[in-house]
Amino acid sequence: MTDSVHRFYEEYEVFSRKKGDLPLEHRFSLLAPNMEMAMILAKENFFRREPVADLWIVKRSDIRKMTQSEREAFGRLEKPYRETRGYGDLNERWRAFKARAGESGDAGP
Amino acid sequence: MTPEYRTALIELLYQLADDNFILAYRGSEWLGLTPHIEEDVAFSSINQNAMGHAAIYYQMLEDLGEGKSDDLALLRPPAAFRNAVLLELKNGPGNYWDAPDYDWAFAVVRHFFFDVFKSIRLNALKKSSYPPLAAAAGKIVTEQAYHLMHWETWFVQLMMSTDEARRRMEKALSLCWADAGGLLSLGKWGAVMAEHGLTATEAEWRDQWRQAIGQSFARVGYVPIGEPGMAHGDGRNGEHTADLGEALSILSEVYRSDPQATGW
Amino acid sequence: MAAAVPFEQWTAEEKYGHFMRRIENGEKIEADDWMPDDYRKALIRLITMHGISEIMGAFPEKEWVPKAPTLRRKLAIMAKVQDEMGHGQLLLRVAEDLVKPCGKTREDILQDLFAKRLKFHNVFHMPSPTWADAAVIAWLVDGAAILSQTMMLKTSYGPYGRALKRICQEESFHAKHGESLTLSLAEGTPAQRRMLQEAIDRWWEPLLMFFGPKTKEATGHTNVDKNLKYKLRTKTNEELRQEFLSKYVPKIRLLGLAIPDPTLRYDDEKGEWIYREPDWNKFKQIVTGNGPKTDERLRLRRTSYENGRWVREALAQWKAAAV
Repeated sequence: MTDSVHRFYEEYEVFSRKKGDLPLEHRFSLLAPNMEMAMILAKENFFRREPVADLWIVKRSDIRKMTQSEREAFGRLEKPYRETRGYGDLNERWRAFKARAGESGDAGP
Repeated sequence: MTPEYRTALIELLYQLADDNFILAYRGSEWLGLTPHIEEDVAFSSINQNAMGHAAIYYQMLEDLGEGKSDDLALLRPPAAFRNAVLLELKNGPGNYWDAPDYDWAFAVVRHFFFDVFKSIRLNALKKSSYPPLAAAAGKIVTEQAYHLMHWETWFVQLMMSTDEARRRMEKALSLCWADAGGLLSLGKWGAVMAEHGLTATEAEWRDQWRQAIGQSFARVGYVPIGEPGMAHGDGRNGEHTADLGEALSILSEVYRSDPQATGW
Repeated sequence: MAAAVPFEQWTAEEKYGHFMRRIENGEKIEADDWMPDDYRKALIRLITMHGISEIMGAFPEKEWVPKAPTLRRKLAIMAKVQDEMGHGQLLLRVAEDLVKPCGKTREDILQDLFAKRLKFHNVFHMPSPTWADAAVIAWLVDGAAILSQTMMLKTSYGPYGRALKRICQEESFHAKHGESLTLSLAEGTPAQRRMLQEAIDRWWEPLLMFFGPKTKEATGHTNVDKNLKYKLRTKTNEELRQEFLSKYVPKIRLLGLAIPDPTLRYDDEKGEWIYREPDWNKFKQIVTGNGPKTDERLRLRRTSYENGRWVREALAQWKAAAV
């Protein structure tokens, strides 16, 4: 088998945005010899029916993915201080202020 | 609508319908046989678009009282067809179900020539004096951007790659050039069509086509010899090759098989 | 497992245990995840066969694409066969990523197909001599395929599941297309109905075969058990065949068509369909590359692939020049 056959079959990843206000999503991959060809092939291979507002083609070899080792190794402890659920006491504290204001008849409208 | 206007309009609609119908058929013969699986899928969309455009034009003819659109596409004799001869020529030796020795270079050049022409023609038809045609052209032309991008990409890449590809493409170019004049022809009713504002004049779109194709040729360093010809005759006047008759008998085989049938 | 030990230093048993726990927890395995060899082999076998079947399955219907009777039918069957090629593309991509670590590409998969080292579904080795065959393929062969593809939607292999999701969405159009073609012939002239009946007669046995043999004993081996263990599938061949019969036998009979099996009946006590076993020896012959149309269709695919070689070589060059 000739080397050029392998070079024809390059892997490209296809990303698309359905509508202007939606994020880019990964669609699928295809084989193409170059970026321009990958673009014309992607259009009808993956968007024959559904609308497509934008289309991105990325050569797979340009993508740095996590290795399984990294995926398995990256853990994370809970960090309530950076999420809303870490602030569950606020309502109660507001209520206390409202109660105090009610007692002095100064609650406002 | 004067009788003369009506005749010219009907002639024009047959040109539009038959061009798209016959080339969509030639394209559909390629399904599953192109050089790359991803291309099978992409090419098929272009053929479906063209077949859909043909159906729109046949429906307009039906609305003008010419008969049922399926009958118009499938039951007319070859001499009644008004497509350019270039579009009816076989894809290569063999046939699609047995030993197809199809020529991808010919497919690329023929479709490229046609889709460049089709875009020019549709843009002219948007101003047609026949409102249903102007409206249809406005819609159909939106599918052309993809066709042009697709064939231009194939054309440029094959022209600028290996010696073998260049040789095959130049061979296909001379074959298509020899009959490209038939695409640009409006046939014997052409003057009446232009006079009544149904289309632009033949000279106008010939110039536009030469200019557009010339730009692509310049990109790849190609110079054609002579003017686009009509080696196999002018299909707009009903002159055709045996390839058309063969195509029509395949296209209508099932439709003709049961004359009693009212539905399929 | 000590967190400090990187994944690649785990022992084979640790990796296997971790893999099986992921499968049991319903997690999805991805292409570059560690996987046991027999899982990879089972996937390659299953998905390559599925992908190649789509590509080869385009041919029997494609014969009818240019001949479809009306403009509307021509458009619809073009779209349908295009989708089959598109499904082949999706599935081959999934298979190609699985064979990649073995240094193989699409080229190798196609060469394996040409050399009959790969199998494809029995139904695509069969002739389709009339327009009614196109109708029966779209209605019943696709109907059978939908049942087995839907069953695998929850497969443990993520890329396959994502491809199947897309495929199943498009298959719902195919099913309607097939029903529409069939109904038109069933509503039609005596000649149209006769053509439809003859197509049903031709396709009945291949359709029953499509789901594969009931038991290991019938062919000597089956990969169903392994596929169940790795959650690649959730139902047995026979369960799928029973579903198919329940779904389609009443419809075929409602159209006033005969099913070419006088023994076919629903057994209320057992709660299952009783049918005449297809000839499994014939099935084995067919899927090993000796069906009535095997050689002709392989020749078609090989010829077109060879004819396109100059194109692939040219474009590989073009890229090299452009970089």
